[in-house]
Amino acid sequence: MPDNASAQQPGQPAQGPNEHYHQPLNQPRALRIGVAGPVGTGKSSILATLCRELAGELSMAVVTNDIYTDEDARFLRSAGVLPTERIRAVETGACPHTAIRDDVSANLDAVEDLEEAYGPLDLVLIESGGDNLTATFSPALADAQLFSIDVAGGGDVARKGGPGITGADLLVINKTDLAPHVEVDVTAMVADAERARDGLPVLALSKHDPESIARLADWVRAVLVRHRSGTHVPTDPGPMAPHSHSHDGS
Amino acid sequence: MALLAPYLLADGRLPVGAHTYSAGLEPAVAAGLTRAQIPALLRARLHTTVVTEAAATALALRAALRAPVDFAPVQEALAARTPTAPLREASAALGRGVHRLARRLDPDHPAVTALARIRPRPLRPVTLGALGAVLGVGEEELVHGVVYDELQTIASAALKLLPGDPLDSVAWIVAAEADAARTVTEALAVRTPAELPARTPPLTEQWALEHDRRERRLFLA
Ligand SMILES: Nc1nc2c(ncn2[C@@H]2O[C@H](COP(=O)(O)OP(=O)(O)O)[C@@H](O)[C@H]2O)c(=O)[nH]1
Ligand SMILES: [Mg+2]
Repeated sequence: MPDNASAQQPGQPAQGPNEHYHQPLNQPRALRIGVAGPVGTGKSSILATLCRELAGELSMAVVTNDIYTDEDARFLRSAGVLPTERIRAVETGACPHTAIRDDVSANLDAVEDLEEAYGPLDLVLIESGGDNLTATFSPALADAQLFSIDVAGGGDVARKGGPGITGADLLVINKTDLAPHVEVDVTAMVADAERARDGLPVLALSKHDPESIARLADWVRAVLVRHRSGTHVPTDPGPMAPHSHSHDGS
Repeated sequence: MALLAPYLLADGRLPVGAHTYSAGLEPAVAAGLTRAQIPALLRARLHTTVVTEAAATALALRAALRAPVDFAPVQEALAARTPTAPLREASAALGRGVHRLARRLDPDHPAVTALARIRPRPLRPVTLGALGAVLGVGEEELVHGVVYDELQTIASAALKLLPGDPLDSVAWIVAAEADAARTVTEALAVRTPAELPARTPPLTEQWALEHDRRERRLFLA
């Protein structure tokens, strides 16, 4: 672990049977941001975008969870936005929801391995492999999470809610460039989402809109500042929508 | 004797990463195993790999209860009897989840601190021995848990890999009772790491190696 030499105490042997990676005391471990949302809403693309935007200033790594283990990881490796060995896929036993909530062991192992191999890291992005609106990250794994829905899913999705939509640290309404083609009013969709989220942030994003990408990267930078200063408190959107938001029906 | 611990150890919901493991079923299915052959696979594993794993777990528990705790002999004996690298890696990955749980429950327990000294990482039976010591489980109960967990792991993974009536899975396990009892007796009779039986069926090894190179898999091994 040559990268971690600075973490060693003076006089401590660099190699030994009990060598563990220790984060330098003055620096918290990497910020872990989860990216959740239904299949096809652009999670992998968001990861690629964030790597492209931030890898120059931050030391980053990626963990993917997929139903079939390595699809997302292969997509991200081929995107060339991060050294391939910093992108790990975990097996989820066909239970990607379990792997990010009820039993996060495999993901924790992957994050710890990445920190050990390339640490100290600033940011680890974790993509969920869920296939519906209810999969969100446990705070045991992710310090913060963004939830992605897209305009192609229809303007009603934001209003219908669900734990990710109502409680994620950031809600991304993705692929806004497609809105005219699917007859969705982005402004109304954002307003609906904001109402469902009690003041939590909503970001209209398109990979073809650099200004929206800059806002996404700024959100990550802001969370990182809070994480480092110890003022960020991980919150759990929960596995279920809060009852107080269920009055809209469906 | 612990009341709840044996049930915790046998519960597939124990959050130690076991849901990512098919106990060899996914590699076997890829090699052509059919649903009708699952009961035979259960029996085959009970008479081979499970004897080794269960015996190693009992040895590890005994080591965990001695002072000072030294897991090296059982870890090395088990690694030597697990010649396929992907199977050692899978065992170490599963052991890591068990280790994390043991650390959460009793970080200063001598068996838990002894785990941290093992390199490469402790294999699952070694970590289960330590967890058994932390939970105050007897070796018979611990071995029952290992044997049951193997059956349940395969039966549950079958729901993903060769789907059918979930009630069938229960019936397969019940039908394996006599074989499971033999496995327990054999495993508990092993007294020293040197006596640990080397039960590594060549097909299990070959399938594990093939699985390791496969893309789009669901399970670790
Ligand atoms: N038009 C448009 N397409 C996008 C955008 N973001 C992602 N996509 C496309 O949406 C599809 C699914 O994206 P992906 O990132 O794989 O989604 P995931 O399944 O949530 O990881 C791909 O074909 C992407 O190219 C966007 O901002 N605009
Ligand atoms: Mg994806």
